[in-house]
Amino acid sequence: MSALREKVADFLFEEAARADAHDYAGWLELWAEECLYWIPCNDDDIDPETHISIVYETRVGLQDRVRRLGGGYAHSQLPPHRLSRVIGNIRVSEIEEGLVEARSTFNLTAFRRDRFEIFAGRMVHRLRPEGDDFRIVRKIVYLVNNDGYMSNMTFLM
Amino acid sequence: MASAADISGLVEPERVHGSVYLDDEIFEAELDRIFERHWVFIGHAGEIPEPGDYRQRWIGRQPVIFVRDQQGEVRVLMNRCMHRANAVCHQERGNAKGFTCPYHGWRYRLDGALAAVPYADRYPEQFDRRELGLRKARSEGHRGFIFATLNLDDVSLAEHLGAHVMAELDDIADLSPEGELLATAGAHRLRYAGNWKLQVENVIDGYHANFAHRSHYDNVKARTGFDMTELGTSASPATVSDLGNGHCSWDSSALLARGTRSFSQAGADVQQAYEKSLVAAHGQERVDQVLGKGGTHLYIWPNFSYVGAHFRIFQPIAPAETQVQLVPLTLKGAPPEVNRSRLRMHEVFYGPAGNGQADDLEIFERNQIGLAASLAPWSLLTRGAHLEQRRNDGTVTGQITDELPNRAIFRKWAEVMAEPVPA
Repeated sequence: MSALREKVADFLFEEAARADAHDYAGWLELWAEECLYWIPCNDDDIDPETHISIVYETRVGLQDRVRRLGGGYAHSQLPPHRLSRVIGNIRVSEIEEGLVEARSTFNLTAFRRDRFEIFAGRMVHRLRPEGDDFRIVRKIVYLVNNDGYMSNMTFLM
Repeated sequence: MASAADISGLVEPERVHGSVYLDDEIFEAELDRIFERHWVFIGHAGEIPEPGDYRQRWIGRQPVIFVRDQQGEVRVLMNRCMHRANAVCHQERGNAKGFTCPYHGWRYRLDGALAAVPYADRYPEQFDRRELGLRKARSEGHRGFIFATLNLDDVSLAEHLGAHVMAELDDIADLSPEGELLATAGAHRLRYAGNWKLQVENVIDGYHANFAHRSHYDNVKARTGFDMTELGTSASPATVSDLGNGHCSWDSSALLARGTRSFSQAGADVQQAYEKSLVAAHGQERVDQVLGKGGTHLYIWPNFSYVGAHFRIFQPIAPAETQVQLVPLTLKGAPPEVNRSRLRMHEVFYGPAGNGQADDLEIFERNQIGLAASLAPWSLLTRGAHLEQRRNDGTVTGQITDELPNRAIFRKWAEVMAEPVPA
């Protein structure tokens, strides 16, 4: 395993751990000031300019999302889901402007009110190296069921 | 099946019995009587703009194909091969040249006509292909909003909707400078473990938002300083109306800024250009009507609503399982930034990860849990009942937090459920 790939994997595992733990502030810290969090809806290759997404948020949206989840009145996370996700198949490449692109797959088990749900898909992170660490510039989550009927997905994906 | 009389006794003017949300027999009777014997909403013509475009939809339990044919006509075809009943359309959406049954190769045109039967020489001479086209539901539309019924004896769509609902649909369509809506921006597709009527009542409920959506309103206040709770207190000047036949609407124009209804937060210059193009197309007086109407919600009995930038289709699956599609509408001829803003605004609140609607789904599921407690089995719909006002135009109006819509909806429910069942 290359040193870069190992560092990127560690970063993705850390992000996953913070999301699983509902560490909203800690998760937000991983993002760059200028960033985009995108979960396409209905298909993977939609144009967000003309098609709705499940999530299409810049930093302002992420801050609102996290403020809401931590504010004590987000009924859909009271109680929060119990979450456990596995990130794998990580492939790393260096792209333009010193950015690193990480392609991975994930499998996320969510449990709430006696109901198990499985979420799975691909992720593409664009990361900007910051010293020994990274910041997320862009994260896209391609859910396998993005065209299916979905219920409560308000935890951090 | 429970008898019609048993069912209607479950609804009183100001309360409703919990079994209407829980009971299996009542649920099946709802599908028979409400969904499969009267008008239901199918979709918007702007979802299928090109010949061959189609969507799978449902009339109650029955699968239909919502399709635009070769001539550009919108059709609602029963999704059942006339041979041995295979579903001829098996994808949720797409574009097709026709529908070919995968089982024995019977081929239908987009208008439903049977085009080909393989190895037809084994059928007798009197076998008439012309009688074996896909069956059509009776369908009619207003401003592209298409409804269908399996009942050939049903009233006309105009009678079902009434003048007030048609005027509301006109107001939505005229948000487009071309008077035409498109619905090609996808759909949020949601499922919850609760009865379909919980979503129906919620979509026109002005009392819940300050509690169910407090987390979103806190965000808006932190971000913009605007206190959205003003809309939904008993001091709010916003109103709710019973438009007849179970259809209901909100009007928040007394509180919300002009243009709120465009559901766009594009820059001021873009909004001005948009409004200018509207005036050029529809005239100032009409535009004042359309844009002066703030934040309206519309519910059309039994399975349609319009909220924000989208319409919804409610699909009952089981007494405690419902599917909902949210289809955003874009405005043909409006600046791309306006339509883009409508989509972004929609995403913030709606969808499975949105900051608002997911809390509604959670409320529905808790509601379904609470309904099972039967020592006091009635839900109270009393709020504002003694303050309702009948207008000269036949509509009945109340304050936004009143349970006037619930009463209107259940009055319609009881009326339809008590209709004699044909033998």
